[in-house]
Amino acid sequence: MANRGGAAQRPNSQTQGKICQFKLVLLGESAVGKSSLVLRFVKGQFHEYQESTIGAAFLTQTVCLEDTTVKFEIWDTAGQERYHSLAPMYYRGAQAAIIVYDITNMDSFGRAKVWVKELQRQASPNIVIALAGNKADLANSRAVECDEAQAYADENGLLFMETSAKTAKNVNEIFLAIAKKLPKNEQVSGAGSANQGRRLVESDSSAKTAGNCCK
Amino acid sequence: MSFNQDHLGIIQAKLSSGETASTCHEASLMQGCVCASRILALVEHEGEWALFIFISSRMPPEVFTDLAIERVIPIDNDFKCEIDAGEQSVDVYVNSRKLKLLFKMIPSIKTNNFVSEIMRSMEDLTKRRDPPPEFQWLHKYSGSSTSSRNKTDCESATTDITEDDASKEKMLDLDSPDIVVSRHSVAQGANPIAARENVIQHQMSLKENDYTYTQILRVFIGTWNVNGLPPTSSLTPWLASDMEPPDIYAVGFQELDLSKEAFLFNDTPREEEWRRSVIAALHPGANYKQVALVRLVGMMLILLVQEKHEKHVRNAAFETVGTGIMGKMGNKGGVAIRMEIHNTSMCFVNSHLAAHVEEFERRNQDYHDICSRLSFSKFSPPKVIDKHDQIYWLGDLNYRITEMEPRIVRDLISHNSLGALLECDQLNRQRSQKNVFSGYREGPITFKPTYKYDPGTDDWDSSEKNRAPAWCDRILWKGDGMDQKEYRSHPILRTSDHKPVSAMFESQVRVIDVVKYRRVHEEVLKKLDKLENEFLPQVTVDNTEIIFDVVRYLEAQSQELIIANTGQVPVQFGFIKKPDDSKFCKEWLNIDPAVSFIMPGEKCDVKLEVCVDKKSASKLNCGEDKLYDILVLHLEGGKDIFITVTGNYERSCFGSSIEALVHISVPVREISIGRLVELEKGEPPGGMEPYPIPKEIWFLVDHLYRHGLKKQNLFLLPGLNSELIAIRNWLDNGSSEPLPGSLHSIAEALLLLLESTAEPIVPFNLHSVCLGAASNYLQCKQIVMQELPEYRKNVFLYLCFFLQELLSHANENGLDAKTLATVFGGIFLRDPPRLSARGRGNLTAMDRKKASFVYHFLVNDLSDYVTSKVLHLGPTT
Repeated sequence: MANRGGAAQRPNSQTQGKICQFKLVLLGESAVGKSSLVLRFVKGQFHEYQESTIGAAFLTQTVCLEDTTVKFEIWDTAGQERYHSLAPMYYRGAQAAIIVYDITNMDSFGRAKVWVKELQRQASPNIVIALAGNKADLANSRAVECDEAQAYADENGLLFMETSAKTAKNVNEIFLAIAKKLPKNEQVSGAGSANQGRRLVESDSSAKTAGNCCK
Repeated sequence: MSFNQDHLGIIQAKLSSGETASTCHEASLMQGCVCASRILALVEHEGEWALFIFISSRMPPEVFTDLAIERVIPIDNDFKCEIDAGEQSVDVYVNSRKLKLLFKMIPSIKTNNFVSEIMRSMEDLTKRRDPPPEFQWLHKYSGSSTSSRNKTDCESATTDITEDDASKEKMLDLDSPDIVVSRHSVAQGANPIAARENVIQHQMSLKENDYTYTQILRVFIGTWNVNGLPPTSSLTPWLASDMEPPDIYAVGFQELDLSKEAFLFNDTPREEEWRRSVIAALHPGANYKQVALVRLVGMMLILLVQEKHEKHVRNAAFETVGTGIMGKMGNKGGVAIRMEIHNTSMCFVNSHLAAHVEEFERRNQDYHDICSRLSFSKFSPPKVIDKHDQIYWLGDLNYRITEMEPRIVRDLISHNSLGALLECDQLNRQRSQKNVFSGYREGPITFKPTYKYDPGTDDWDSSEKNRAPAWCDRILWKGDGMDQKEYRSHPILRTSDHKPVSAMFESQVRVIDVVKYRRVHEEVLKKLDKLENEFLPQVTVDNTEIIFDVVRYLEAQSQELIIANTGQVPVQFGFIKKPDDSKFCKEWLNIDPAVSFIMPGEKCDVKLEVCVDKKSASKLNCGEDKLYDILVLHLEGGKDIFITVTGNYERSCFGSSIEALVHISVPVREISIGRLVELEKGEPPGGMEPYPIPKEIWFLVDHLYRHGLKKQNLFLLPGLNSELIAIRNWLDNGSSEPLPGSLHSIAEALLLLLESTAEPIVPFNLHSVCLGAASNYLQCKQIVMQELPEYRKNVFLYLCFFLQELLSHANENGLDAKTLATVFGGIFLRDPPRLSARGRGNLTAMDRKKASFVYHFLVNDLSDYVTSKVLHLGPTT
C-alpha cells in the first residue's frame, strides 16, 4: 500500500456511508390520511382527528440503509381539490412521491390514478412513485380490493403497500422501500449545497436533475 | 495547550495604534454542542477596556493575518462575566446586552490569570470617576469588515439580528441548555448537510464508548541517528528483538545523508537503502504494509502496519517542518505521519532538534516550533499534533548531560550509576520545569547513553572534542491507553556514532462494533431529525378563508390576517407566486406587508385590501375573472399555508364595454348578471334599438356641458373618491335626483368610465396605426371614420365636439387644446397591456404622438362629416 496521503476520506466512511437528501411529496384526495402517515413516520404519533392541511406542511426524516443514509424532505400537501393547481409547486423537483388513497373509498382510488397520470406527465421522469392504500385497519369497510390496486401499481411501475397510520402498519416500510429504490449514484457533498431553499419552483427545478441526491 | 502569551505580539499587530493587548488566552466558544477554538484578548485604549474575540486560521497563530476579529465586546456597565470553575474546565459566561457567550477554558494558572484580568478591568470601570466610557475607538470594528467571518459586534451591533447567517449562528441562547444544534442554521436550512455532518460527528464522538470496544495493539517505535552512513549490517537486532511481532512499526532516522546535495535538493539514495534495510529486518512473524514514508533532508520516518490491519487504517497523512538554518531549513526540525486505525487517531513525530551542549533552549524552541507549525493541512480544519488520541514522539532530541566533566560521566556509566546522570540530563530538567514536552511521558531509562561512540565500536568518542556521553535519542508519548513495555538501546548496531533506541508499547485502540455503531448512529440521526423538526419555523394564522362580502368599484375594503409565530425560531415569511402567475396575488388585491419577519412569541398583522379599479374592473365585469384568489404564505425554510380570498363583485357601468352599454337602456344594476355577461360576450342583442353612445357618457357630458363649460382646470384636477362613489351609484342604480358631486368629480368619473373598459376607444389593433398617422390629419380622420368600431367612433366624435365646445370658452376656463389633447390622447389611445409593461424609454415620444392625434380633432372643424344626431341625441327618458 502506497502512502495514503491522497484524497481525504470521510471519517468513519466504512460505517457511516454517504448521506443522500431527497425531496418527497405526498399527494392524494382530501382526508385519505397523508398527514397522518407523515406524523406516524416522523413522530410516531397518530391523532384520531387530524386537522385538515391547508397548505403544504414540511418535515424532515432520516432513514438508515445498509450503506447509505437517506434524508427525506417531506412535503405533505393539501388534498382539497381547490388547491390542485398549486400541487406542481411541490411535486416539481421531487425525487419521490407517495400517492395516498383510502381503501374504504373507491373515489379516492380513482383520484390517486389521476395523480399518477399527472406525475407521469409533469413530474421529473425518474421520480419514484409509491401508491399507499391507507386505512388498512378499516379492512371491514374495504371498497378497493388489494389485488386491484396491486395490479394497477404493477402496470404503472409503482411501489405499492396497504398502510395504516393508525396501527403503523407498513408506514416505515413504505418510506424505506422508497429510500431503497431511489438512485444514490452521487454523493451529497457536504459543503456548498446551499440550494436547499426548500422551494422548488420552476426556476430551480431545471437546475436539479431528477434522481440525484445532490442538489 | 501550545498557545501562550508569546502570541500577544501577534494580537497586538492586529490592533490599531493606541490600543494595547494586555493579555490573551485560548478558549473554546460553545455553539450549541459544537465548540470552536477562539483566542480572547483584553484590549485597553485610554483607560477603556474591551474583550476581543479572534478566530485563528491556525492554532496557535503565527502571523497576525492568521487572525480575524469575530467580535468586540466593550467592558461597560452592561458587561457581565461569570465563572464556573470545574475540574474538567473553567466555564466563563460573558453577557453583554442580548449577547450571551459561553467559553470553556482548560483549568490552569494562565486561565486563572486571564479571568482575573477580566475582573480587574471590570473593577476599573466601577472605580472610574470620569464620565462613562464611550468606546468610540470600537466603532471601527462594528462596521462590516472584509468578510462575514470578520463581522464584529460593538455597542449597537450586539443587539441587532442581522441578515448575516454567520453572526446569527453565534447568537446562541444559553438559557436553553437542551439545545444541542445551532438552531438558526437548522431553521434556515443554511448549508444543512455540512452543519449536520459536523453535529453528527460530534455526537458520535461523545457516544464513542457505546459502539466501540478496546483492542490492544503492539506499537514498535525506533529512532536512530545514522550519521550520514549507509546501512552496513542487518537491522534485525533493533527491529525484531521481541518475541511477538508488533502490529505497528514507526521507525525514524536522523542524519540519513549529510551531503550538500541532500541538504540543498532534498534528494538522496540513502532513503531507499535504509527503507529496504528496515523492510528486510521487520519481524518475521507477520506481514507488513507501508502506510507512509516521509523524509525531510536527513530525517526520515516510515510507518508500517500488519497486513491484517491495513483495511482499518484511514486518513493517513504526513507533514514536515524545518527549523534548521534561518529557522526554516530541513537540517533540523521534524517529520510526522498521522493515521486513524479503527477509531483511534495516532500521530508519530520524528524530530532532530538543535545540536550543541549549551543550546537546550534552542532545542525547546525547536520543539515548540514543530508543535505550532506542523499541521496536517489536508483536513479541514487542519489537524495539529495535539489533536490526536495518541502521540509518539521520537528522535535525536540532542539534549545532553551538563554540569559534569566528561570523565566523571564515563566513570559513572562504567559503574552503572545512571541515576545521578539522569538528574543532570537536560531533557529531564527542562521537562520538570515544564519548558518542553508538557503532557508527554517518558519511560525509565535503563540503558547507557546512546551518544557519542567511535563508529564501528562500543567505545566512547575518542576524538579531540572528547564529547561527554548523552542520551540524545529518546522516545516520549502522550495520550490515553498507552503502556510502554520496553525502552532500550541496541548497542550491537555499530554503524553510527549513535546507538539505535526502541520502545514497545501496548496501546489501546477503539474498535468500532458495526452493529452497535449503526444503532447509535441511527439514534443520533433520529434525535437530530427531532430537533430539526422542532426548530422549523411555525406560525398560526387566525383565518385561512378571507371573505369579503360585497365589493364595489373603487371602494376599497380591507381585512386583517394575524400571523403568530408559535414556533421556537424567528420566522421570515412571504407570499409567493404560484406556478404560471406573474405576481403573488391578483391585481385587485393588495397585501401589506407581503414579506416580513416575526420573532418567536410575536405576531404580525397583515392587511389584505381589495380594491377594484380601472385595471381590474373589466375582467370582473365580463366574468373573465372572479374575486377569488389563493395566496401561498411561505415560511422561509418551512411550510406553506394557503389563504383563500373571496368576495362578491357588484358589477358596474365602470368596466363595462361601450358596446354593452349602448344596448342597456336601464341602469346597469337593473339587468341580470347573465344578461350583462352575454352582452359583454357580444351575443346578439335583442329588443331595444341601441343608443348611439352609452347613456352614462351622455349623462356625464351633458352635466358638464350645462354646468361646467366655464370651470377652470376641468379634467386636470382630481375628484373626490366619496363623490366618485356617489356618481357610480347614481349611474348604476338610476335616480331621479340630480347627478351628485362636484364638476371635477364628474369630469374624473367620465375619464374613469373610459379608462375602465377592457379596450380603449381606439382598439388595441389600431394603436400603432394611429400613432404612425399622428402627424397627418387626413390620415387620422380616415382611420376614425373608416376603422373605428361604430359606437366607439360615436363616443370619440361626441367627446371631441364637447371638448371643442369647452375650448370655445377658453378665456373663462383657461383650458387649451394641447393640454386636453394630452389628457384624452392617453385615454383614447391607451397602451396595449404588453406594451405598457415594456421599458419606459419611448414613453414621452409616444405620449406626444397620442396628443397630436387627438389635437387634430380639437382644432379642425368636424361639422362636415358628423351627423348632428350624435351630439344632441341622448337617451329618450
